[in-house]
Amino acid sequence: MFKYDYLRPASVKEACELLALHGDSAKVIAGGTDLMVQIRDEDKKWANIKYIIDIGHLKEMKYIKEDGDSICIGALSSHTDIVKSKILQKYAPFFCEASSTVGSPQIRNMGTIGGSIGNASPASDPVPPLIALDAEVKVVGTSGERTVLLKSIFANSYKTTLKVDEIITEISFKKMPTEAKSVFLKLGRRKALAISRMNVGVIVVVDSMGFVSDVRIAPGCIFAVPDRVKIAEDVLLGKVPTRELLVEAGKKVSEEMINRTGIRPSTEFKKPAIESLTTRALSQALEVE
Amino acid sequence: MNKINVNMIVNGEVVSILVEPNARLLDTLRDNLELTGTKEGCGVGECGACTVIVDGEAVNSCMILAASMEGKVIETIEGLGGDNGELHILQEKFIEHSALQCGFCTPGLVMSAKAFLDVNDKPTREEIKTAISGNLCRCTGYSQIVDAIEDAAKDYYVYDVCRVKK
Repeated sequence: MFKYDYLRPASVKEACELLALHGDSAKVIAGGTDLMVQIRDEDKKWANIKYIIDIGHLKEMKYIKEDGDSICIGALSSHTDIVKSKILQKYAPFFCEASSTVGSPQIRNMGTIGGSIGNASPASDPVPPLIALDAEVKVVGTSGERTVLLKSIFANSYKTTLKVDEIITEISFKKMPTEAKSVFLKLGRRKALAISRMNVGVIVVVDSMGFVSDVRIAPGCIFAVPDRVKIAEDVLLGKVPTRELLVEAGKKVSEEMINRTGIRPSTEFKKPAIESLTTRALSQALEVE
Repeated sequence: MNKINVNMIVNGEVVSILVEPNARLLDTLRDNLELTGTKEGCGVGECGACTVIVDGEAVNSCMILAASMEGKVIETIEGLGGDNGELHILQEKFIEHSALQCGFCTPGLVMSAKAFLDVNDKPTREEIKTAISGNLCRCTGYSQIVDAIEDAAKDYYVYDVCRVKK
């Protein structure tokens, strides 16, 4: 069993200072639903751990609010907070849907959105909708704060670009236009407590003439780092959506998967699965049979 | 490693205790407070046998550091009964509907059900199933458990969870 000291900073600033002081021997904990499992498994990633810095009680990072045409979410908001948020149900329903599929009720009560991002699992459920929304994250370190695109936080599977003294404090994105439709779909091994084998978040906006004026396709699990798939979005942008185009967009997503991660033993299953999942999500969003 | 002093309310009683920095809430409840009704199943948040209620929400006590419980209100299965040994309505209904066989998962299931019914007066069967979706039972097949919770919901009243006993 790993042994470590428990530190309980009184503020985000103090937490950053502790991180700067202890470097790689310290790790931040919030909900603990990832870290506690990794520590129990004696994941070699944490073999040098000497300090756990608990930020879970810093309530100033637990909020969901509107700020003009943006929505701001404190990093300590739990998945349950997100599922229940009237603001998010109104402006980003597929993000609530995605968060409702995380783990179990217990895990959703504990796990935080900041932690989900910081863990950088390619199989995260809430991340693809945030990527589709072009979300930004506010990051605080000892030398101040910076706001960057969420996408740029991910360096690789389970690796972030955060500096050693930095903490994610807020996630924000622009409200979707009222005419936008969003869908999140997930493939897991069973309904409850399933880690995604594959998921996808899509947003579409169709103008009054019936043309697609905006489309975002953000698949999860198939890339090392989450991203929108522009070549798939381009299939639909400016077109009147048809079944054929939706199938074509699905094919572009699998093409991009193979481009980025190569042919693997699982490709035979993943290729048709991600194609169908993407097409299904788009057809639900666009109401095209 | 420095022990951490934690002040929390467990089943209505103020508890002030020194815990190891790597002790889980589950360890502290079972080994220090001798509240062994809370079970350890998988230890990784998959089975829900360790479910307790913290500040009104069902959580897996195997994934929580005891040190982080400063100021929290914790309910375990032992806190459910009345002062004179009377059972909580959920416990009564679990018995009435034979919603258990081996009983290992039962404390966790009852706590998940309690956290749910405390804030939902008229739940649907589907909502009940979602509420207990983080708890595995390998004996009953869940039907009787859902029946029991559905039945309990009919004359459920919220017990004052924040009360502190002398």
